Amino acid sequence: MSVEISSAFLLDVAAGQAVAAELWDAVTEQQLVHWEDEWMPVQREFVERMKAAGVERALLPQSRHWDWRRKAEAFSGSLANPSFCVMCQGMTQGMMIVNTLHKARVASQAGKELIYIEYLENAPWNRRHFASDQPRFAGVGSLLMRAAIEFSREEGFKGRLGLHSLPQSNGWYSNACGMTDLGTDADYQNLHYFEMTPEQADTFIAKGN
Amino acid sequence: MAAAKKTMTLNLTDAEMGALEELCVKKDLSKTAVLRQALRLYQTVETRVGRGAKLFFEDDQTKEKAEVMML
Amino acid sequence: MKIEFTNEWCLQMARLELEAGADIEIGVTPNIAPQPVGALESSTGSLPDANIAFGRFVRLMRRHRRQTLEGLAEVAEIEITELVEIEEDNHHKPEPRTVYQLAKHFEMPMPKMMQLAGLSAPKDASFYEEAIRFAARSETVEELNAIERAALEAFVSVLSEKK
Repeated sequence: MSVEISSAFLLDVAAGQAVAAELWDAVTEQQLVHWEDEWMPVQREFVERMKAAGVERALLPQSRHWDWRRKAEAFSGSLANPSFCVMCQGMTQGMMIVNTLHKARVASQAGKELIYIEYLENAPWNRRHFASDQPRFAGVGSLLMRAAIEFSREEGFKGRLGLHSLPQSNGWYSNACGMTDLGTDADYQNLHYFEMTPEQADTFIAKGN
Repeated sequence: MAAAKKTMTLNLTDAEMGALEELCVKKDLSKTAVLRQALRLYQTVETRVGRGAKLFFEDDQTKEKAEVMML
Repeated sequence: MKIEFTNEWCLQMARLELEAGADIEIGVTPNIAPQPVGALESSTGSLPDANIAFGRFVRLMRRHRRQTLEGLAEVAEIEITELVEIEEDNHHKPEPRTVYQLAKHFEMPMPKMMQLAGLSAPKDASFYEEAIRFAARSETVEELNAIERAALEAFVSVLSEKK
């Protein structure tokens, strides 16, 4: 499998400085090993802290739902499901799998092809499980969103994106990413469905300029 | 999605080219983009059917299902 | 697929992400989606009324001891800029070390101060109610009036309860 690597940067939060990073246009065995050997133990530790803090069992992260090895196997070789990852300091910081076979629902783009984001995850040390946690790196989400937009453009879909957001991420996709909230989707556990139009994609990219 | 791409010449009948051009207009995509999507869809369907799934169309009004025949 | 990322673009977007403070994950079942523990933020990152109580508490304790901002910062060995933000910015999230130093200086139990500052989750919901009640009763005037003093004393005893 050949992988194309783009140079990028993340913010080292503690140092307040940029660090060199990479966007890869694939999830390879290396990412899966990182997920198993590095992400999972840290995630398990967070779960233990949450349990100790009295968090309800139903709200604890379930690692089997983040089984990247199974996901990678399920989508292996699938032309409709390319994947991407972010690397920094030799470690996988984020992963994403998309789908090219979905259609836009928002009125102005109805029926047109878009890139649908199936899965997107930040490394556990980049997330806030506790309010006092300081993320190690910031910017993973933006790099992956930009990758999805550029891929959408490359395919002729003009930057159109679609995704179902978790409740605590609604604000990020709505406000920070400027996507249109099409409301809850009864076919998808009543999660909010968001879309990005070509104009919104331009605006998202312009935010950083 | 490596940078290196291979070129292919496609021989199509007038009807096939007409259908392709119609899809291009409808989807606002290039011929290459339409054909790539078609290939992705075909591969996805083949994989799922290969795992034992069946592909159906469902009538939006009546909810009746009609099976798609896969050769 | 090759993308040209500039340093400026990446950093600007990273800062926006950090400010938003929200999770970005896609693809997990919602009823097991974790909320950050002790996080009083909504998905847009704003802090609720309980955080106003922390700033109000610090300010009243300082004024009760007739300390200036500079005086408190010096004796508690904390940054004066952070102290100003704690007292004046309801959305400011204090550093754990600062909360520790203030707890030590005011001789208040550390766990309760951490809860009040929004850095850990309270063991019971009534703590939030007490904090908000305290914030509502206290006002900013030059000297503590009788009402403020009573509110402060009542809240100090809540914080000092062994729970």
